[in-house]
Amino acid sequence: MSTRPRISSAIPGEPAQFSNGLAHQPAIAASFGDLYAAFWDSDVLSARLKEVARMRNARVTECGFCRNVRFDKAMGQGLGEEIVDAIDWGYETSDKLSDAEKAVLKFTDAVIHDPELLTGDAKSALRRHLSPEQIAELGLGLTLFLALAKALITMGLEPEMMDRTVLPTPAAVEPA
Amino acid sequence: MSGPVTAALGAGSGAGSGAGSNLGAKYAKFRDASHAALGETMTAQVRRAIAQVHGLDHAPGDNGARDDPPADAAWLAYARRMPFEHTAITDEEAAAVVAELGEARYVAFSVVAALADAECRAARVDLPGLTA
Repeated sequence: MSTRPRISSAIPGEPAQFSNGLAHQPAIAASFGDLYAAFWDSDVLSARLKEVARMRNARVTECGFCRNVRFDKAMGQGLGEEIVDAIDWGYETSDKLSDAEKAVLKFTDAVIHDPELLTGDAKSALRRHLSPEQIAELGLGLTLFLALAKALITMGLEPEMMDRTVLPTPAAVEPA
Repeated sequence: MSGPVTAALGAGSGAGSGAGSNLGAKYAKFRDASHAALGETMTAQVRRAIAQVHGLDHAPGDNGARDDPPADAAWLAYARRMPFEHTAITDEEAAAVVAELGEARYVAFSVVAALADAECRAARVDLPGLTA
């Protein structure tokens, strides 16, 4: 995996990173920003469960940038580091995670790793804890987490070094 | 073309209104913008190449029309590595694709390929069926 950018910044003078790399395609960047803000703004599925899935995706895809970013909305819903640490191999037996979080993690693994993991029991657990609307929103989140992590990694936009960074949760820009 | 994510968001929102429908429309806009930036023919070729790595005949939501890409294109081999070998793609492989496509189109290609992989995965767990 390369940490050497494979593209330049679309904004002269800035070192290449994900947002200014994506800016080579303004329509893609704008529509992604609008979608991602709306996704995090929706409370159909809690930000905490979304962040649990995002952190799992970060580990499995080996996205260091994703793994070091925390969104403040999920932290405000009680997602602390002791819970993030439990989102690792063997999470099924963790006493830090709720049954709903374990069902979300199993579904996450099925989507991003191996569909065979979605056994009858795993499917039943998912449906017991999440409504169809919540599953749809989780499916969207996983699609975006996985796709954008892979795009970032393959474009060489992984940072060489990065501390854990708490960011404001993506939000729509209010019209002036 | 729609695909499993759009279908799930439509099904998950019941009558087609509300949060799921709003997100579905925004997802469709993002997806369409990505596909338009790469171009219809190459998007279909990339999506089919990736679907075949997943054992699917064609990408979910696509019509299965065939327009074979040049077999020796660097981008074709690169796209086939996206599902299971994304961390193993080398700087040299990436540079060859950038040389073929140019930098801006390489960005679109990267997004389209990664989205195609994610949509195949959503289809393989039957995301729309889970939200019905």
